[in-house]
Amino acid sequence: MHKWPFSWLPAVDISRDGWRADGLFWYTTTLCVIAFTLVTLALVYSSWRYRARPGARAFYTHGTDRKSFAVTGVLAALVFVSVDMNLVRVSQRDIKEATFNWPTAKDTVRVEVMPQQWAWNFRYAGPDGVFNTPDDVVTFNELRVPVGHPIMLNLKSKDVIHSFYLPNFRLKQDANPGSINRSWFQALKTGNYEIACSQMCGWAHYKMKGDLVVLSDADFARWMKEAEGDARRRFDPADTEQMWGWEWLQ
Amino acid sequence: MADTRARLLYAGPDFHSEQHIHPEPTGFLARYVFSFDHKVIAKQFLWYGLFFLALGGTMAMMIRWQIGNPGTAFPVLGELIWPQSGGVMPPQAYASFFTMHGTLMIFFAITPILIGAFGNLLIPLMIGARDMAFPTLNMLSFWTNVLAGLAMIISFFVPMGAAAGGWQAYPTLSTLVGQPGAGQTLWIVGVFFTGSASIMGAVNYITTVVRLRAPGMGYFRMPLSVWGIWLTAILNALFVPVLAAGVLLLFLDRTFGSHFFLAGASVTKGGGDPILYQHLFWIFGHPEVYILILPAWGIVSDLLSFFSRKPAFGYKATAISMSVISFLSMVVYGHHMFVVGMSPLLSQGFMTLTMLISIPSAVFFLNWLGTMWRGAIRFATPMLFSVGVVFVFGLGGLTGLHLGAISSDIYLHDSYFVVGHFHLTMAASVLLGAFAAIYFWFPKMFGKMMNETLGKWHFWLTIVPITIVFCGMLIVGYGGMQRRLYNDDAYAFLQHLHGVNVWVTRAALLLGASQFLFVVNFLSSLVAGKKASENPWEVGTLEWTVPSPPPHHNFDVIPLVVNGPHEFSHPDVKGKDWLAQNEPLPSEPAALGAVGS
Amino acid sequence: MTAVAAARFPARDESRRTSFVGMVMALASWTMLFGSLFFAYAILRLRAGTWPPDGVEALPRLLPFANTLVLLFSSYVLHRGVRAAADARFGALLGALKATLALGSLFLALQLAVWIPLWRSGFRIDSGVYGSIFYGLTVFHALHVLAGLVALLVLVPGARKGRYRSGRQTAVRLSAMFWHFVDAVWVVMFVAVYLL
Repeated sequence: MHKWPFSWLPAVDISRDGWRADGLFWYTTTLCVIAFTLVTLALVYSSWRYRARPGARAFYTHGTDRKSFAVTGVLAALVFVSVDMNLVRVSQRDIKEATFNWPTAKDTVRVEVMPQQWAWNFRYAGPDGVFNTPDDVVTFNELRVPVGHPIMLNLKSKDVIHSFYLPNFRLKQDANPGSINRSWFQALKTGNYEIACSQMCGWAHYKMKGDLVVLSDADFARWMKEAEGDARRRFDPADTEQMWGWEWLQ
Repeated sequence: MADTRARLLYAGPDFHSEQHIHPEPTGFLARYVFSFDHKVIAKQFLWYGLFFLALGGTMAMMIRWQIGNPGTAFPVLGELIWPQSGGVMPPQAYASFFTMHGTLMIFFAITPILIGAFGNLLIPLMIGARDMAFPTLNMLSFWTNVLAGLAMIISFFVPMGAAAGGWQAYPTLSTLVGQPGAGQTLWIVGVFFTGSASIMGAVNYITTVVRLRAPGMGYFRMPLSVWGIWLTAILNALFVPVLAAGVLLLFLDRTFGSHFFLAGASVTKGGGDPILYQHLFWIFGHPEVYILILPAWGIVSDLLSFFSRKPAFGYKATAISMSVISFLSMVVYGHHMFVVGMSPLLSQGFMTLTMLISIPSAVFFLNWLGTMWRGAIRFATPMLFSVGVVFVFGLGGLTGLHLGAISSDIYLHDSYFVVGHFHLTMAASVLLGAFAAIYFWFPKMFGKMMNETLGKWHFWLTIVPITIVFCGMLIVGYGGMQRRLYNDDAYAFLQHLHGVNVWVTRAALLLGASQFLFVVNFLSSLVAGKKASENPWEVGTLEWTVPSPPPHHNFDVIPLVVNGPHEFSHPDVKGKDWLAQNEPLPSEPAALGAVGS
Repeated sequence: MTAVAAARFPARDESRRTSFVGMVMALASWTMLFGSLFFAYAILRLRAGTWPPDGVEALPRLLPFANTLVLLFSSYVLHRGVRAAADARFGALLGALKATLALGSLFLALQLAVWIPLWRSGFRIDSGVYGSIFYGLTVFHALHVLAGLVALLVLVPGARKGRYRSGRQTAVRLSAMFWHFVDAVWVVMFVAVYLL
């Protein structure tokens, strides 16, 4: 039914910055495999070599002599400096260059995201650049973005906590009720991808799926134009459910 | 001053006038039900914890069955529980089950077995006391816990079922917005009560260790098991109240309509803050991880030395590392909240602090390996399980690195990688540690030996599937699968992971099935096990200097402690390779005499 | 700490010292509980911007201030009572217990006098985060006052019979510790909820 070896790699990475998570993952994994192999070898070796045999007596030491102390201390310090501090260093670089490096470029696309049980609402500001106005473009369960542009998100939940998860971008950000969170990404390839919820949000959490459509510049502009036209026509002042959106948090 | 310190560290308090010998009660109720005897309460906690372990374990099997074989009925039980869906677990029940699986395992299985049962059994026996400092509080702690357990069990039968908001019960999902049923309220009541029980136990344990150590039993002569349980008790006393505050406010939100955790202007309305709950929860939650693992660490540190017939390598360094890690656990909780929307500065601070945990952890591992090195290792069942803990905890501890660094955590957050990681550390390690403890102290508790052959089969049929299950979860987590999914069908990017999920389920079912070996061994040994001698494992800690099972008052004469807990293979000792803690070296002047009472 | 405890308790009185250690741990635990509630208050208040939130009237201060004095005075009275018991003056202990019970009850009565008009005026636990904090914290504290009163009430028959001789005063001392703790929490609560 399922062939061995299983394929278990993550979804294809189509983002500008997804390599950071993947790179750090494998870097950490490599260091872990080395450390774990050493521990296991020592465990197996001493289990076999020092198993109880008739007449054999254990070596009497409390491991409190200066040599044992020095070896333990040096090894622990070595692990801390070579593994942990290295991970912190790489992570700090990623944070500075990507995670919290909010895009300021003129061509940044701004989207407000409001998940609810169990769907995704998206809102573009429209021609006036202001959210929660009649000219806003609103989509349901489908986020359309242009390739190659930074996409800046403002997230806020309608009911319970959800988490906006783009597996192809190695991106995750919680959306909370009552406060605005920010996140951003940039696609390198056009196509259809998935938006998932990664925070338990009720019994239908498992199927709270949205679509991410990455379009070429021209296609995105064409769609946006059409949608803006539709937005004005479709706006219904009586439909208060549609009146969501908040002041943009840069 | 220096003299006082030396007395505390190596000599213990010198007051014992108040430890009277009380006659054993004769009535059934006083003897077995509302008992003040720490050994009886330990057994009560053991049975209680094993019951919930079986319940939580069965729920885990059903959860895995649903992921591995979606849309099929769980054998036998499925038809009974969900007749309306032909035995298939509905998604609402699935959410309830993973919520309650976590809650029951953490608060009603692990906590009662390692802290309740072994804390109670070992502290007085190992430090040379006649009972706990506050026996009434001890009894109260158990029965409060029973009330909590009842609330949890009742919650399955109320309309809309048991709590289904995850074991962390994040608002606003856990408020009336997401959980309108009484199940979540009962969950809060249960957690509050079991928390109160934990605090009662903790106050008792701390006081007992501080006040009732036998003469000569300084802090640095206590067995590492006592160290682990004592540090756990300190963390419990200080941090369970934080959880209590959190669920108390949640209770007010649900019952009296207050706005502590309600925020927003749409479905949820209010000026509160749902993230506040997460702060409170994780201020408790991270120490909780160590609350669960510290007793197992202590027990394993002792057992590795006992069965290697060699003093614990760097005993003092291990005890200090455990203390340091307990302290660090108080200041790293923010690494559970990297995607919540905390300020970047805070996130970075928490990341760096988190990484510091590596240092004491590395010291443990080196000391554990150092203990086995050049030993004369006897591979009895408790030793096998102890080595298993080192192996499994190695996997679990190292995968914590991926989650401690922000940029890899953002991808792995809320994924099966997290599930695999914390099960390896606080489920697999703790479970194996609990089995080690049960196999090792069963003779002292019940006066019978457990069957070694069955025990060894149990070990191998546990360690192999448990590693496959949780490493499989690490793999699907890296593949991108979120936790708490009813199935992996809804998303295209998860399809290729189904094969691994199927194998995880198969291994989990094998793991579940092999626990019957333990049940059979436990019950048959209880009835027909070989009679245990006073000291079947030939070790020197104080509980092995009294009969198995010990008399009601533990020690006829309070022992005078002259050694550390791990005096093995001393060159001056002939004819045997161990020394009891109250047994002077043959080369030393005759015993100073024991302190009577 | 150790030196203080040793000076106050003769080394022979072992069980009293053990109870003292236990009570200190229990109060440490309770401190964390109230500390967490204050932490929650601080976070919510920082988040709110203006405090009290717009449209909510500030709480009365005079009556709660008087109430603070009542509790502080009750602590003083009880402290004198415990000292009297140590000197084997059991009449004074009984008087102090009764006075503390009266002052504690007065505190609860005055709390009701604060709550009831506010509740009637429409300021309730469900009318916003300010109300949630106010009622949540003060009622939870009042329950502790009530528990403290019950603990003191239990001591009265024994005090009347002069049962708390030297070496048997653990119950008195521990109940007094709890009472002082509850009072201290109130002082912090008064400053945090009413004054700041």
